Amino acid sequence: MDLRAGDSWGMLACLCTVLWHLPAVPALNRTGDPGPGPSIQKTYDLTRYLEHQLRSLAGTYLNYLGPPFNEPDFNPPRLGAETLPRATVNLEVWRSLNDKLRLTQNYEAYSHLLCYLRGLNRQAATAELRRSLAHFCTSLQGLLGSIAGVMAALGYPLPQPLPGTEPIWSPGPAPSDFLQKMDDFWLLKELQTWLWRSAKDFNRLKKKMQPPAAAVTLHLEAHGF
Amino acid sequence: MDVFLPWRQPSWRVGRRRMRLPADFRWLLAAFVLLYVLNEANGQKKGSPRDLTCTTNNLQVWDCTWKAPVGTGHGTIYKVCIEDRLRSCHQIEKANIKIPALSPGDHEITINSLHDFESSLSTFILNEKNVSLIPDTPEILNLSADFSTSTLHLEWTDKGSGLPHHSHVVWEIKVMRKDSMELVELVTYNTTLNGRDVVHRWSWASDMPLECAAHHVSIRCYIDSPHFSGPKEWSNWSPVKSISWTPDSQTKVFPQDNVILVGSDITFCCLSQEKVLVAQIGSKNCPLIHLDGENVAIKIHNISVSEDSGTNVIFTTEESIYGTVIFAGYPPDVPQKLNCETHDLEKIVCSWNPGRPTALVGPRSTNYILFESFSGKYVTFKNAEVPTNESYLVSFEMIPNQEIYNFTLNAHNPLGQSESTIVVNITEKVFPHPPTSFRVKDINSKAVTLFWRLSGNFAKINLLCQIKINKANSKQELRNVTIKGLKNSSYRVAVDKLNPYTVYTFRIRCSSETYWKWSKWSSEKQHLTTEAIPSKGPDTWREWSSDGKNLIIYWKPLSINEANGKILSYNVSCSSDEETQSLSEIPDPQHKAEIRLDKNDYIISVVAKNSVGSSPPSKIASMEIPNDGLRVEQVVGMGRRILLSWHPDPNMTCDYVIKWCNSSRSEPCLMDWKKVPFNSTEAIIESDQFRPGIRYRFFLYGCRNQGYQLLRSIVGYIEELAPIVAPNFTVEDTSADSILVKWEDIPVEELRGFLRGYLFYFEKGERDTSKVRGLESGRSDIKVKNITDISQKTLRIADLQGKTSYHLVLRAYTDGGLGPEKSMFVVTKENSVGLIIAILIPVAVAVIIGVVTSILCYRKREWIKETFYPDIPNPENCKALQFQKSVCEGNSALKTLEMNPCTPNNVEVLETRSALPKIEDTEIVSPVAERPLDSCDVEPENHVAVSYCPPIIEEEISNPAVDEAGGTSQVIYIDVQSMYQPQAKPEEDQEIDPIVGAGYKPQMRLPINSTVEETAAVDDIDKTAGYRPQANVNTWKLVSPDSPRSTDSNSEIVSFGSPCSINSRQFLIPPKDEDSPKSNGGGWSFSNFFQNKPND
Repeated sequence: MDLRAGDSWGMLACLCTVLWHLPAVPALNRTGDPGPGPSIQKTYDLTRYLEHQLRSLAGTYLNYLGPPFNEPDFNPPRLGAETLPRATVNLEVWRSLNDKLRLTQNYEAYSHLLCYLRGLNRQAATAELRRSLAHFCTSLQGLLGSIAGVMAALGYPLPQPLPGTEPIWSPGPAPSDFLQKMDDFWLLKELQTWLWRSAKDFNRLKKKMQPPAAAVTLHLEAHGF
Repeated sequence: MDVFLPWRQPSWRVGRRRMRLPADFRWLLAAFVLLYVLNEANGQKKGSPRDLTCTTNNLQVWDCTWKAPVGTGHGTIYKVCIEDRLRSCHQIEKANIKIPALSPGDHEITINSLHDFESSLSTFILNEKNVSLIPDTPEILNLSADFSTSTLHLEWTDKGSGLPHHSHVVWEIKVMRKDSMELVELVTYNTTLNGRDVVHRWSWASDMPLECAAHHVSIRCYIDSPHFSGPKEWSNWSPVKSISWTPDSQTKVFPQDNVILVGSDITFCCLSQEKVLVAQIGSKNCPLIHLDGENVAIKIHNISVSEDSGTNVIFTTEESIYGTVIFAGYPPDVPQKLNCETHDLEKIVCSWNPGRPTALVGPRSTNYILFESFSGKYVTFKNAEVPTNESYLVSFEMIPNQEIYNFTLNAHNPLGQSESTIVVNITEKVFPHPPTSFRVKDINSKAVTLFWRLSGNFAKINLLCQIKINKANSKQELRNVTIKGLKNSSYRVAVDKLNPYTVYTFRIRCSSETYWKWSKWSSEKQHLTTEAIPSKGPDTWREWSSDGKNLIIYWKPLSINEANGKILSYNVSCSSDEETQSLSEIPDPQHKAEIRLDKNDYIISVVAKNSVGSSPPSKIASMEIPNDGLRVEQVVGMGRRILLSWHPDPNMTCDYVIKWCNSSRSEPCLMDWKKVPFNSTEAIIESDQFRPGIRYRFFLYGCRNQGYQLLRSIVGYIEELAPIVAPNFTVEDTSADSILVKWEDIPVEELRGFLRGYLFYFEKGERDTSKVRGLESGRSDIKVKNITDISQKTLRIADLQGKTSYHLVLRAYTDGGLGPEKSMFVVTKENSVGLIIAILIPVAVAVIIGVVTSILCYRKREWIKETFYPDIPNPENCKALQFQKSVCEGNSALKTLEMNPCTPNNVEVLETRSALPKIEDTEIVSPVAERPLDSCDVEPENHVAVSYCPPIIEEEISNPAVDEAGGTSQVIYIDVQSMYQPQAKPEEDQEIDPIVGAGYKPQMRLPINSTVEETAAVDDIDKTAGYRPQANVNTWKLVSPDSPRSTDSNSEIVSFGSPCSINSRQFLIPPKDEDSPKSNGGGWSFSNFFQNKPND
């Protein structure tokens, strides 16, 4: 992890605070309500930041899993990780998604992935790995909040988990260490795919939502980008 | 087979008995024989019972069978009779009988078979040795498998109740694998029968997971009964029992998540419906071992230690991937450095070092159990997070009223366990927490109380506490105190023997009285003790003012230890017999007071006061006892100290006082003073104010009858340095041979030491030339005078030369070195008498020599004439030389000399001088010669004594080359008689001179050219084939005065404008301009200049 924990924490906390209060900042409310544009932009930026963060986390974690998981050409079939939300989707289907569905799918996916990720954190054997995972979980929590903010700005309700369905999301212990490792591998892989997809989703959403004259862009400046 | 033989013999015997039956009728013999043969043949075919064999499986019943006669089948009845103690017969329908075991020895058994009213009888002899012991086929009661440990468990019974006691039974168990029943294990298992049916269990750990393939087990046995003499055989193999894995949907690879010891061998297998392509452990591929179907296995030898997440084993098929994780690690090491102690006598903290890492983390890491055997209590410790290089700690609640603890620390992980024990008396292992709430409170100016708090239940022990006391500029002090322990309480202790008004820093730490470890130090507390009255009066001295009317009283401030507080003021009072006069209070920073006193004797008293009280008074007498005849002594210190000593004086009743000051200061002069006890005889004076090169004055006062007397006055230096200035000196008087110099003293401040003398240097020298030269170079021309009498202020330097410049230098020196120099140039006056004498004496000598020479020459004139100017014969007397009168007038029609017989004139040599030249005809000075001396150096050898000789007709041919080589400018006339060799050549020509000058040389053969101009010279020879001057004309050009040849060219030079003197040895006729040899060199030459001039 090249980013120092202190830097990242501080930056992340600042970022989350900014995102959370973005709708309430009067300076940004040029016409009283700036619309969801800035929120989408910030969410997009956060997605890209998480992509970067995941790269170093995945490197560390796959090394922890050992060969062949850390080999670049290792591409196992998806075993056991059936409950993980799949990011891959048919292009036509993806294009036909409306904004609400698009955001809802993102929100649900990251909710599930966060659960899995926390399970991963509990099982990690080394303290350093747990720190890295906890850090990423916090970042992902921030992304989830950010998506929620966008949905709120657009007036979409947050998806409510049905009673009794939540336990399915929370990952139980895998039948074997090997299958657990496979799950972990796929979790990281799906997470990466979801972050790619989200970047596309938010980019699409941003272009769609952003009125040309009212563009307010806040650039994320962080070390290592 | 041997067992059958005895039975056949009776059978044959029976046969022979039957042959005797039909022997009565002879005529029927043939038919009978035929019939008999047929019958016999038929009887043989059908026969009697045969091949009796007996076995036993329990040694109690024999099971005998025989082969039935041929042709018999159902319906045959056998009558078996056994000849033993009681003849018993049994009628049976089968060819098999179970009989009780017979006693040892032979027994006859007859078997009569009855079939279709025919009977046949067979007799057998039966012995136990012929009975085989074949146990019953054993039966496996149960075969089970523990798949997690890959262990098979086998159960069977030995059926011992039906077998004799104490028989050894050997069991043979075979384990087979795969459908093809590959034998993988064959083991024997020994038991002993005990008369009861015993179930035996045997376990077998497979090197391959049992899930990988079906495993089959079969068993047989062998009874080794010592009392049975017959043959013993293995039983049959029991029916095979099999174990196989019922595959579930999840697991395909075995074993799953195993923990094994590093270095073990392990086999992994994969149960697959499709072909396994690759198997790998970590990133390393492994060869496949094919099992049933598509199942495969891999075998790993000497597995290496795993990473934190274990080692991955992967099987890859076309469609999928299967895997498992193996954790290779070590069993826990024996816990090292197990140590138990308590901080508070409430909890025991045990620590240990785990030793070698197990390489197993998380759920497979080592768990520890600390077990106390007396109380039976234990605590556990899970090593999940702690890095392995640190000590582990576990806390154990103390048991009330238990002091001795016997701890066993057990470490276990999936690979094994280890333990370590320790017995402690916990009251001896107290390591208290650091004291808290530490504070200090005053008791008085010399004592304080320390308070602190110590958490823990120490009620049953005494505490040993250590107080660290630090004072500024002092060594730290440690004091130990023992106090009774309390339970979670505050403690206090008094600390005395402190100094008043002093800042102390306190710290405290504690241990149990039976020391084990000190606690950490408490926090630091600084404390200022309270003030006390000053312990003594100030050190005082007094000086009379310069006018002698006022007495100035000095005192030194008290040291911190003496002041015992902050000094606020001083009280000064003076008392005499009549009155006591007191001055007002003098505030602290002022340390002197002036009192106007008369000349009475007074006692001055000084008291220092602080907030608590006044010091005892310091008293000093004002009276000064005179001491005449003191002389000033000198002293030089060592280092920064000056040692003064004096003789003991019994009259002295109070302390000596040494005061000192800088000598350059005016009176009253006081830098400092020092009091020395009256019985001392020496004192060392030290002061930071002392500086090297500064003169100090020291005064030693003796104290007598309350008055002070100056005993000694000393001037001195801490260290002497060289003067920093040179003495100023002037020249008082100068004469032709002496100089009087006078100089001044150097001021004391610049002298920087005791003056030891002067060094005076003088030498000849001008201001410009000698000032740079150093004086210390040991030059011999420098004269030095060392003036050690420092009172001398003048110096006369004598024996100098007149009118000469002298360089004078003066330097002062001390023991610290030489000072700088001061120099001056002085010119002595001229000595006129000497000059006159110096002129007159040579003149007088020259005159006298001239007169004497004249007289001598006059008296010897005849002799001189004959010697130097003899009469020359007239050549006209020779008939051979009939020249016309105008022979010298250039007539062109000269008459050739006729070489008629001629009587030459006799040349009479009057005197021969071989070495020294006599003719002084070389006095010709080159027109441009500047230094006659130069030629003088060379010429004396060129002067040769030559007499005239007419040309000799006889020609002596000399080597032309040599001539040319020696062709210089020499014209040589040789003395005929002496063949004198001229020496007027330069050094380099010396070698060839003997040849060149070897006798007379015709003029034609004279060298005409120099060596370098040889070719041109040949032409010249042709041109000048007639008369030639007796010289090398080429030499005429050699007139450069600076040329080396000019030094020996007197003869050449005289050729210029030479008259044709017959008795000259010079050229008679100078060549004409056009004939004269020109400079072949073409360059400018002095001769050309002369010769060309007429033409110009």
